[in-house]
Amino acid sequence: MLNNGKLKIVLMSTALLLVVVCLSFARTDHKEYREAKPGDCRDCHGGSSVTENHGAFFVSEHKELARKASSNCADCHQQSFCLDCHKGGNLETEQKSLSRRGEYMPKTHRSDWISIHPIKTGDNPSNCYRCHETPFCTGCHTRQIQQDRGKMTIKPHRPTFVSPGVPDPAWVSDHSANARRNLQNCQGCHPQKGDCSNFACHPNLKGR
Amino acid sequence: MGMIRIVAILVAVAFVPLLSHATEVKAISSTQYLWYPDFQSADTDQNDLAEYLRLDITKLDKEGKISLHGYGRVLYQFSTSVEYRPELANDTYGRMYYFYLDYRDAVKDHLDIRAGRTYVYSAAISGTIDGAYLNIKNLGPVGATLFGGRNVIFDNKSEVGTGGDTLFGMSIYLDTIKNTHVEMSYGRKNVDSDLARENVGLDFSTTPHEKVNIYGRAQYDTVSDNFAELLFGVKLVPLKDLILRGEYYQNHPTFDAFSFYRYFNVDDYKEMSIAAEYQVTSEYRVVGKYAREDFGDDASANLYDIGLFARPIKDLVLNVSYEYRDGFAGQLNGFRINGVYKISKTAISAGIDYDDFRRESSRDGTAKKYWAGILYEHSKMFSASARFEENINYNYDPGYQGFAAINVNF
Repeated sequence: MLNNGKLKIVLMSTALLLVVVCLSFARTDHKEYREAKPGDCRDCHGGSSVTENHGAFFVSEHKELARKASSNCADCHQQSFCLDCHKGGNLETEQKSLSRRGEYMPKTHRSDWISIHPIKTGDNPSNCYRCHETPFCTGCHTRQIQQDRGKMTIKPHRPTFVSPGVPDPAWVSDHSANARRNLQNCQGCHPQKGDCSNFACHPNLKGR
Repeated sequence: MGMIRIVAILVAVAFVPLLSHATEVKAISSTQYLWYPDFQSADTDQNDLAEYLRLDITKLDKEGKISLHGYGRVLYQFSTSVEYRPELANDTYGRMYYFYLDYRDAVKDHLDIRAGRTYVYSAAISGTIDGAYLNIKNLGPVGATLFGGRNVIFDNKSEVGTGGDTLFGMSIYLDTIKNTHVEMSYGRKNVDSDLARENVGLDFSTTPHEKVNIYGRAQYDTVSDNFAELLFGVKLVPLKDLILRGEYYQNHPTFDAFSFYRYFNVDDYKEMSIAAEYQVTSEYRVVGKYAREDFGDDASANLYDIGLFARPIKDLVLNVSYEYRDGFAGQLNGFRINGVYKISKTAISAGIDYDDFRRESSRDGTAKKYWAGILYEHSKMFSASARFEENINYNYDPGYQGFAAINVNF
């Protein structure tokens, strides 16, 4: 057991050490390198795991660095640099494609994004929600349903019944497996609780 | 009205010091004409005229600590309205991306403040708010952030949301030893004054050796009592020109607290990936990535990605990539080629995207995109750019879109 005096010395030494270490390794200010090309970073950082962080996969990796409270992104970039991709801006007129609504789309959105997005949203479904709110999906899907449901050419999933009120067990199995894997996607066309609670399967569903 | 009041106050506050200090004002304007087909409007072409403006006023005080930053656009839509899309009538829309007063070192070396419309981010939550962001820094090895305000939600060319849509958060971070960062954060989002999301986040990153970087992230959703996201990764640099990366990522689908969807059972999404990046020479770099995706209940997918970045001659940059995906949700087989060639003040760019895809039990086919662009920099002050694109796919055969812009740096 440490007595009070020794404990105090240990605590104070630890705190002092933390402060000294922290001050010794202050974050490098990168403002003077603002105009440098990403390739020039290798002059200092080549061979080090600290960096080369603007590499080929930086589009998917940058969030790990950017969300830190003490990140140094602002040394070189303004917020417009973030929002031009995340919120559809195009101030510096990069050669980006346009969405169905004339918004600028990040290059991650491949050729015919309307047709391909059901596949690509499978690659980490949470990625979509980093820029889009759920109404973004519903706005388009609902309109498609109103216009011409057949044009959506999605996997058929209407309920089938073996007798009135009794759903086909094969459909139930397929439906539940797909819903567990794709529930966030279901919201796109079925934002209303009634779409699920009207069936006998989910009669007392909570929420709205 | 609330927003207008905030902006008016901020502008007033910002411009008071102009009377006594040599402030610096920088502005970038981009005037753009855009055209594009809208597949939801009987393929009618749509046209927009947009004016983007970014304004940066710095050195508002003697010490140069206070600055004002704004970025927004005004857009006039020349649309062909159709019966089922009345919102496509000719109209003017505005969008303010941000407009905030930045006060660095409001308390010397200890407090940075941003007030106004600003983008905030943490492991727990992120978004654009009309409010304030405080960074309390250098408290020994510890720092903290606090942020909160009205949650700004952008919709079709404009804004939606009410005063009851709010976003709040905070974080405590620790920069203890060289290149080690640990950050705990908390975030809460309300929709129409009702709790929608409440998350606790943890970020860490450390570089125990010059050639090893270990990082991770966790986001806990208190509404569903589950980890919404878990990430653990290692980056290695065994050779000067070789970077290797391995990651494990797990995602648990989460929903707003009031949503009926949150009462259903869901499967976790799990992904294991490895990636390599090798700088062959200073002009050539090759990359490769493989990811194994697990969707639960024996559903999985494989994703392969390879790419080449090349600068075969001084003014030419080429970028080639190929992606192959198979498994759950569908198959994709596609490549992208694009390049930029500089001739004096002009940069010419062009590219081709080609995808052959097969969606599970639904649509399949090919999609092709051909595009070309040009950027002419007349001087540091004036430049002009344009892009033309042709799409041949399920929705258009062909569909044309593009934009032309005149940019001014004041």
